[in-house]
Amino acid sequence: MSDLYFPGIRNWILGSPPAEMAKGWLRKTLIGALSQGPIPGHVAFEMDGNRRYARSHKIETVEGHHHGFEALARVLEICYNCGVKVVTVYAFSLENFNRPKYEVDGLMQLAKVKLEQLMQHGELLDRYGASVRVLGRIDLLPPDVLEVVEQAIENTKGNTKCILNICFPYTSREEMTTAIKTTVEEYTTTPQPHSTPFSQSRITQKILSTQDKSKRTLASIEETPSSNLSDDDAVSTSTTLHSESSVPRAGDSEKVAIYPNAETITPETIDKHMYTADCPPLDIFVRTSGVERLSDFLLWQCHQDTHIFFLKCLWPEFNLRHFLPVLVEWQYRKKQNLRDERPRRRVKSA
Amino acid sequence: MSLKKKDLQTYRRDEQFGHRLMTPEERIRLLKPYLPSPPPSLNDSNKKLLPKSAETTQAREGRFGVRRFLKKNFYLLVFTAIHFFFSIYIRARQACHAVSDRVYSLFQHHHSSPELIERDVKGLKRLPKHLGVILTLEDQGRSGDALEKLLNEAGEIAAWCASAGIPELSIYEKTGILKGYIPEVHRALSTNLQRYFGSNYPILSVAAPHIPPVETAIPRHRMSDKSSLKRLSVLLISAEDGRDSIVDLTKTLAEMSQRKKIDDTDITTELIDAELSESVMGEPDLLILFGPHVELAGYPPWQIRLTEIFHVQDNQGVGYQVFKRGLYNYARANFRMGR
Repeated sequence: MSDLYFPGIRNWILGSPPAEMAKGWLRKTLIGALSQGPIPGHVAFEMDGNRRYARSHKIETVEGHHHGFEALARVLEICYNCGVKVVTVYAFSLENFNRPKYEVDGLMQLAKVKLEQLMQHGELLDRYGASVRVLGRIDLLPPDVLEVVEQAIENTKGNTKCILNICFPYTSREEMTTAIKTTVEEYTTTPQPHSTPFSQSRITQKILSTQDKSKRTLASIEETPSSNLSDDDAVSTSTTLHSESSVPRAGDSEKVAIYPNAETITPETIDKHMYTADCPPLDIFVRTSGVERLSDFLLWQCHQDTHIFFLKCLWPEFNLRHFLPVLVEWQYRKKQNLRDERPRRRVKSA
Repeated sequence: MSLKKKDLQTYRRDEQFGHRLMTPEERIRLLKPYLPSPPPSLNDSNKKLLPKSAETTQAREGRFGVRRFLKKNFYLLVFTAIHFFFSIYIRARQACHAVSDRVYSLFQHHHSSPELIERDVKGLKRLPKHLGVILTLEDQGRSGDALEKLLNEAGEIAAWCASAGIPELSIYEKTGILKGYIPEVHRALSTNLQRYFGSNYPILSVAAPHIPPVETAIPRHRMSDKSSLKRLSVLLISAEDGRDSIVDLTKTLAEMSQRKKIDDTDITTELIDAELSESVMGEPDLLILFGPHVELAGYPPWQIRLTEIFHVQDNQGVGYQVFKRGLYNYARANFRMGR
């Protein structure tokens, strides 16, 4: 496609109405056919290669990103027509702030203009029933972009059929850190005490006083064990010491600081604090431009059963003919897995 | 959206001029033919706006849904055809790859000789300092020789690493069965190293997170050139070092926070990174998968951020040619890190 702006004979033929109609029909058929099989619930794209594309076509870097946006629109259309519920795309990494300023500004403007356009014809997303979400540190965005982002999220909130996650300034490590932090916060904010007729502090005091009495009768020299526990001991035996650890604080005031037990934290708890909390598990992860790294994108989500595909093509070229093999191979593997599991189940039931 | 050529050109020209050529209404008109029909719930409210499209969709549906029925069956037919041809293609591809891998492994055999392996990697621009591999226990450990096979594979990989000069190797195996037999793993691995290197075998240490390492005792006659000895440290990790270790860290942090020993603002990416790389492992530079496709099977998520992931399509089992190609591929890849 080096003759991007100088269409030749081949392009003239391909661009003629009958050829375009045939292409459109073929596309529709393929998408319709694919949606007859199992469909992934969540697909992620790492849109890599815009700049290399721009360099190889001798166009401005920012224009490369524009072409990348067109590819994104194409992919979204394919995904939503197939019935994919959630599409997550990596638009901007926190590391990308290190790029030349004009490029960062260009990307910000691109995002702003495109989101604004989406708002202008809000029907576009409504027709797909898609809601936009922006994942990441949106507080780092310039104020004008932030405003548009918030508006876009607000306007499409009502759509429930599918979700478009835009990771915009995002890194997965930052996401995991935030998830850990909010989990810790959740476990350190005391929940509203249940309104029972019994006072917890009175009960603890009672227990303490009976303990004290019994100890005094046994050995008056010994101190109470809870007071001479060093901090490190308390940490290592925390499972058993939970009620005791809040005792010193409970004694001096009425309000009892009873925290939820930290031992009840599970991977699901942290999952709930991820940006992608209510999305289905990630089924397909696609990275274009032949780089075989995850580059800080959805690490927590993709390290288990996700099928990861590294494709050679650059993102702006990405089209149905690249995505089709990925989808078909995924469906094929799914079928294969089912076939492998079936005899095992039979063995178990026998 | 697969826009028609003319529409695409109009769109791009508008874009070049900063979207000032067209009004929003014109753009909507440009895109309208490519949009799907509005969802049924919106039909009523949109009828006034789009009377034509609503009517046509209704007409197209037909009274008895015959068209829809035919369409669905046609799609099913195409779907079956696609999968039929794809399964032929993938089998052919697998066969092709199996043959070429066989040939590869015949011609590029290491012959258990460290010198040959060293010569193989000599020309490479860079080598990973920390190599990760994912091994799988066959049949979930039910067949008797699964563990033995796993030990053999680990031994071979350890020997290749020692020969190539990679100082750190981490072996991921989902179930963590190897962690229960660290002295045995050490014995098996060092036996294989002695087979490769003879009397001049490298010093091996085998460890797992939270388990102290088992090291080769340095024989007395080699004590003199202690600094020149080759060393290889092997780390055994499993699925519990992935998500579970992050969960454990969160538990500890939550408890500390409950005791007011840390503040929420103290929890930073640097802190978590330091803790996880201290207690589990650091980031591997290269991860080699010996499976047919890329699936991480619970590999520690925090540590694979920038790891180069290498696999050979449709490959089955551990082979030296995969290892070698992985190293070659790593030497070629360049890091850009967001730039």
